[in-house]
Amino acid sequence: MAFKMSVQGFKGKIGEVTIGTGYKAITLGGQNAVAFFEAEGEGANLPKVGLEILDIYPEEWIPSLQEIYKDVAQDPAQWAKFVEEKFNPDFICLRFMGADPNGLNKPVEECAQIAKAVAEAISLPLVIAGTNNHEKDAKLFEKVAAAVDGHNCLFLAATEDNYKAVGAAAGLAYQHKVGAESSVDINLAKQLNVLLGQLGVKNEDVVMNIGCAAAGYGFEYLVSTMDRIRLAALGQNDKTLQMPVITPVAFETWGVKESIAELEDAPEWGAREDRGIAMEVSTAASIITVGSDAVILRHPKSLETLRTFIGALV
Amino acid sequence: MEKFLVIGERIHCISPVIRKALAERDPEPILKRAKEQIDAGADYVDVNIGPAERDGEELMTWAVQLIQSNFDNVPLALDTVNRKAIEAGLKAYNSEKGKAIINSADAGPRIDLFELAAQYDAKIIGLCAKEGIPRDNDERMAYCTEMLEKAMEVGMDPTDILFDPLFLVVKGMQEKQNEVLEAIRMITEMGLKTTGGLSNISNGAPKHIRPKMDAVFAAMAMQAGLSSAIINPCDKELMETIKTCDVIKGNILYADSYLEL
Repeated sequence: MAFKMSVQGFKGKIGEVTIGTGYKAITLGGQNAVAFFEAEGEGANLPKVGLEILDIYPEEWIPSLQEIYKDVAQDPAQWAKFVEEKFNPDFICLRFMGADPNGLNKPVEECAQIAKAVAEAISLPLVIAGTNNHEKDAKLFEKVAAAVDGHNCLFLAATEDNYKAVGAAAGLAYQHKVGAESSVDINLAKQLNVLLGQLGVKNEDVVMNIGCAAAGYGFEYLVSTMDRIRLAALGQNDKTLQMPVITPVAFETWGVKESIAELEDAPEWGAREDRGIAMEVSTAASIITVGSDAVILRHPKSLETLRTFIGALV
Repeated sequence: MEKFLVIGERIHCISPVIRKALAERDPEPILKRAKEQIDAGADYVDVNIGPAERDGEELMTWAVQLIQSNFDNVPLALDTVNRKAIEAGLKAYNSEKGKAIINSADAGPRIDLFELAAQYDAKIIGLCAKEGIPRDNDERMAYCTEMLEKAMEVGMDPTDILFDPLFLVVKGMQEKQNEVLEAIRMITEMGLKTTGGLSNISNGAPKHIRPKMDAVFAAMAMQAGLSSAIINPCDKELMETIKTCDVIKGNILYADSYLEL
């Protein structure tokens, strides 16, 4: 008898979410099997890789990155345009560090103008990340969502504290895409999707950010969370978890000691830039391997490496 | 394990409203009950048209098309002893959202329904009985095996059979209850699926205690492995018990709002 490959065959399918408009729009998700199991499923869109920019000058970034962006980073719109022309990632993530109440606490009206200028300067899809202050983000996203109306942006993110405001502004009033952020907690990930659904936000307008950890910092737990979510979505056909996943890798990996220790403090570790890239690349590659549909990176070298990696996997 | 499969029992010719609606081909009462059950979380809707000896084929065709066309091809259980009516229903059935369930075959005179199930790629409920109620679990398991053999012979996938061990009324057959639970466990351990008319167990009990009896029996039966049941999905206590059992067994992922899903 000829050998017959045993195939799992899942009932569920991850929905597809499109971000951006025009020919550079990207679509996340669509798979009906766990990551890279082509024999068991099909339809997955390739994982997408985006680059991060800020609404303020990146004072805290490593000198070599500041060097790359020094002529454009005073103006987020120019910066975005530069990133598109020079590195052409799948999308750009504009992160509103300057709006943080514990920092510059820029008014939301000013942020809205920045977002509008950035969206109009590029043809790449735009992901908009907030301050992580849930109260401020609710107000920020309300204004920004109106300012970038029609650009089909993804907002990071709605949380348990502010999902009503963020979901209503980004998901309902202006028909952008809503990121649902849970911090490595499967039950909360599901709950948040349920709550957004009850609010009226459609499943196909939601992308999950299930949380992130740098490799070595509780990363296994993140991986098991990702696995569990996908097995419920595909195996149990749980519609409340059939959303694509985006992982803001850069937000975590550039803050751990391997990425911030200066050369003189840890000479045996080698150059700081190399370490930062290594942390970013290893974390992003690992989370893509378990099924993340998009990652946000900071260093253009990491972008290049991940593209080669994804190209080699499929 | 897969999530518990709920088959809604409320379209049944024993109900005067439904009997009248079926006889007069009046869509409203039937659609109303179908909607109530789907909204309450039924995965399948059972369509019991009675024996319908005179016009069964036409009646089942009408009912199948009526319900499926109004509710996005919701999966149905075709419930009648009239073989021709079942076949007519299967012909009219759209399996886009799930295979039809034939309700029901047994190890006796109705064993030939397995051929129909194979021919139309349907699921089938197999009563572990031949004539009347099985005496004990030896008999139940013998009938189960006979039906399994028949199903294999006609080329069915064993997981498309839902074995019904026959739930028995507590009031009057109290000593049989553990045996039924044990039968569920034995059938489940063979890797097979089970179902049954759950509310049988509370027959004759006062109305206000029936939901409690049904819910507790469901929980105990699910622990023994019961994978589906024919129930009233509008019974909130029962449905919430089933969902909670599904969560505890890991069949569905917990979220604070799981009871609302």
